[in-house]
Amino acid sequence: METAVLQVFRYDPEKDQAPYYKEYEVPVEGTLLNALLYIKDNLDPTLAFRAFCRSEVCGSCSMKVNGKTKLACKTPMKELVETWKGKPLRIEPLNHMKVIKDLVVDIDKPIEKMKTLIPWLVPDPRVVPTDPMHESIIYPEEMEAYKDQIHCMLCFSCYSACEAVADNERYRGPFAFSKAYRFQVDRRDIETAKEKRIRYAISGGLWSCVQCQKCLYVCPKGVKPAEDIQNLRGQAVKKGFTDKPGAKKLKHFVDWIYATGQINRLYLPEEVYGNKEAREKLTKAYTEMGVEVWEVPKPTKGLMKFRDIYLEILSKEDKALDLDYSHVRKIDKMVSDIFKADICTIVDKAHEEGRSSRGLISKLKGLLGGQ
Amino acid sequence: MVELDYDIVIVGGGGAGLYAALWAAENTILKVAVMTKVYPTRSHTGAAEGGINAVLTHSVGDSPEAHAYDTVKGSDFLADQDAVDIMCKMGAAVIYDIAHRGVPFSRRPDGRIAQRPFGGASFPRTCYAADKTGFYILQTLYEQCLKNNVTFLNEWFLLSIIHNGERVEGITAWDIRNGGVHLIKTKAVILATGGHARVYWNRTSNALGNTGDGTAAALRAGLPLKDMEFIQFHPTGLAKTGILVTEGARGEGGYLRNKDGERFMKRYAPEKMELAPRDIVARAIQTEIDEGRGCGPNGDYICLDLTHLGEEKINERLPQTREHAILYEGVDPVKEPIPIAPTAHYSMGGIDADKLGRTPIKGLYAAGECACISVHGANRLGGNSLLDVLVYGRLTALEAVKYADEAPETNPSVAKAKDDEKRILELMEADGKEKVADLRKELGNVMMKHFGVFREEKSMREGLEKVMEIKERAKHVKVYDTSKKFNTDLITALEFLNLVDLAPAIAVPAIERKESRGAHARKDYPKRDDKNFLKHSVVKLKEDGTYELSWKPVTITKFPPEERKY
Ligand SMILES: Cc1cc2nc3c(=O)[nH]c(=O)nc-3n(C[C@H](O)[C@H](O)[C@H](O)COP(=O)(O)OP(=O)(O)OC[C@H]3O[C@@H](n4cnc5c(N)ncnc54)[C@H](O)[C@@H]3O)c2cc1C
Ligand code: SF4
Ligand code: SF4
Ligand code: FES
Repeated sequence: METAVLQVFRYDPEKDQAPYYKEYEVPVEGTLLNALLYIKDNLDPTLAFRAFCRSEVCGSCSMKVNGKTKLACKTPMKELVETWKGKPLRIEPLNHMKVIKDLVVDIDKPIEKMKTLIPWLVPDPRVVPTDPMHESIIYPEEMEAYKDQIHCMLCFSCYSACEAVADNERYRGPFAFSKAYRFQVDRRDIETAKEKRIRYAISGGLWSCVQCQKCLYVCPKGVKPAEDIQNLRGQAVKKGFTDKPGAKKLKHFVDWIYATGQINRLYLPEEVYGNKEAREKLTKAYTEMGVEVWEVPKPTKGLMKFRDIYLEILSKEDKALDLDYSHVRKIDKMVSDIFKADICTIVDKAHEEGRSSRGLISKLKGLLGGQ
Repeated sequence: MVELDYDIVIVGGGGAGLYAALWAAENTILKVAVMTKVYPTRSHTGAAEGGINAVLTHSVGDSPEAHAYDTVKGSDFLADQDAVDIMCKMGAAVIYDIAHRGVPFSRRPDGRIAQRPFGGASFPRTCYAADKTGFYILQTLYEQCLKNNVTFLNEWFLLSIIHNGERVEGITAWDIRNGGVHLIKTKAVILATGGHARVYWNRTSNALGNTGDGTAAALRAGLPLKDMEFIQFHPTGLAKTGILVTEGARGEGGYLRNKDGERFMKRYAPEKMELAPRDIVARAIQTEIDEGRGCGPNGDYICLDLTHLGEEKINERLPQTREHAILYEGVDPVKEPIPIAPTAHYSMGGIDADKLGRTPIKGLYAAGECACISVHGANRLGGNSLLDVLVYGRLTALEAVKYADEAPETNPSVAKAKDDEKRILELMEADGKEKVADLRKELGNVMMKHFGVFREEKSMREGLEKVMEIKERAKHVKVYDTSKKFNTDLITALEFLNLVDLAPAIAVPAIERKESRGAHARKDYPKRDDKNFLKHSVVKLKEDGTYELSWKPVTITKFPPEERKY
């Protein structure tokens, strides 16, 4: 029978000074969970790990194999042997949680963290009937909004893989944001709860996620925390929670790109961090180095068309990355002051006459207070 | 010895336990705790795929009476009809309640909860949430418990129940994480510890820990167990592992074929075909296999064919089935039929409880799969267990609240806790002549062989002897891990010892029930015998270690027994 060697992390804090690895020879048959059960039944009953359903629904058995997060009952031994070409397989407990024993880690902390994000439905009495014999109507299309998030089985794989958890103790964890987001997009959930969730998400590190996407790759259930976090950020901005540097940065990007087609490196420090001296210092430094800088980037050719597309994308996606029109208007004003002409005139000049999408442009002009 | 003090302790964090906790939390200011050996969301309720039966306000033509009739007929007339009536009438209420709390039930285009046909039901009344119904219910109930700040004792293991012959006084439990036996004082206890199909260790759809711990503790505390001979074999377990293929696969239109490609169900249940109740389908499959019409090189399985449903429908309605078939059987149901065979799935029998979940001991309740109310009688209909779990979780919670509100303080003696401590120490000091893993496997094989889909006097007597022998040998099993923290070696041993206590409680009434009824199919008595056996079996464990059998009448209200034909 084909066999493989598992190097299993062993640590009993009561007895062992330090963790060590113990080697076991196991058959290459079935899943990694089968191999661990084989060890327990035949080689060493003292090995501790969690497992229950053995069919990838309970979330008990996630662990690391050669550094990669895996769900033991979902990982065929054959696949491991092929991937690692017969090299020993190092089996270790998840990261970022205290080891209780061997492969068993303390998951109370991530659960407590999740709890702070109100990961439950707070029904809106205008939508959810209070009469227990009254059904609440939900259209199948509506459920699309949270069809992935509801698959989270609290296996903590993503928590273990997450860069932000590594950096920041307070960071709530990828799954926790997904759990919270699931209710943010549920029509039945009351607005006040949604508001609170955003507030708590922000204090729980919403802007600390570095978008490394690891959570998304390791999730055995197809949940995409990284995306949910982006969407939560969008909601935060839309709800007016724009006082965090992350939100301000986003606003800076969106508004400047919309207004001029480029971000503005001179204004970034001021707009995001409120640093008023930065602009002058930067201008001076750039000039000294002989680098050409503009206080305001010159609007590019075709900007209005570009704005159309941008607006269309934003409205279609409803990613809630709302433009701050008063900010945009300020930028426009800077542009017209510097270039001595109304922004539409400048751009229009650069355009050929008689463009087709006139309708949208004039709507835009109205919006922007242009002519 | 640390002592904890509550008013109500709910043992079990599955569907029954969590729903009980929720209803208790919302209806009392008493101190309530949920104790569970695995984190609540990991309980086996999460594996329930197919759905939950209930007649809703928009179910056309259907009625709670029709549901009750189907349930009673499905039970082969062994269910207590007063209890069935309560359960079926509460269907809509519990479904709407959990839907309002966030369970993402699949919906019809008009936004109402969708229902699909399920085995043994005369109308499509199974509400479902894709093919993860139990998972979503469990997650939602857990969320709602967090919302209500329910106290959890996660990763605690129930050892014993303490009572004074009249009232419950407390329990003892092992704290898995830190080690140590604890005495817990409480006025009321709801047992919601799930089923014991792991008695059939090697061929079961159940989680590794469905070892009937609460049922065994009740047995050891002198409580009666009811109808233990009835074990449901699910017709469609994956051939290699026993892992379940949901009944939804047949509900969506899957075919069962033998090695000749024949849809053999037409010979067993011409009208219902693949949608006949589980016991009938399981026996049909077993008969095909036994008579040489099985598929594969050893002829030991049957084919479940979904290929004609098409990839889109399979992905939409049965995504998990597809995933499991690929992962655990190496077969993609879009392209090939899935090899399946019957697998031990559900325990109809359990702790004897009445129509409100009360046991003979005051303050002690049982709900969910560990209980035998009995709403399932000799055979449970698919989708009825989750309903039972919710209805009785809620009813027992309300009963327990009412009781604990007025009950006097209890004063459990430490003797039991000291006993349990000794028992655990002895396990660690045993001679180790026998190994848990080996004995457990042996027990599973004996039970499958002698108390499987088909049963027979001679074979069962042999089987019981072997079971008693294994029970004897089990005294020599040793726990090698002597550490306190997260000692899974100890837990595994305790679970096995529970299985060993329960096996004879299944075997004894199985031998004495000389008829075929529901899941209890005897080759030597192929007919149902209402004259002699329209009654519940009751097993008690006596001080001397023998199992005492008695009988108890069935409550019949509306539906007189008739032949069960599909
Ligand atoms: C694969 C599968 C699919 C199914 N599909 C369906 C379906 O589609 N429809 C349907 O109606 N039914 C279905 N069933 C049946 C149904 O899922 C179960 O009967 C039901 O979930 C049992 O719920 P419960 O709350 O009673 O127990 P469980 O969910 O099993 O929970 C038991 C709880 O008790 C705890 N516990 C156990 N022992 C101890 C101890 N010693 N100390 C402390 N705590 C303990 C556990 O930790 C757990 O929390 C299915 C069953 C299986 C196996
Ligand atoms: S994308 Fe964000 S949440 Fe996901 S792992 Fe990276 S840092 Fe963590
Ligand atoms: S999001 Fe995925 S990886 Fe993270 S806990 Fe949930 S199921 Fe596990
Ligand atoms: S054992 Fe349940 S997910 Fe692996």
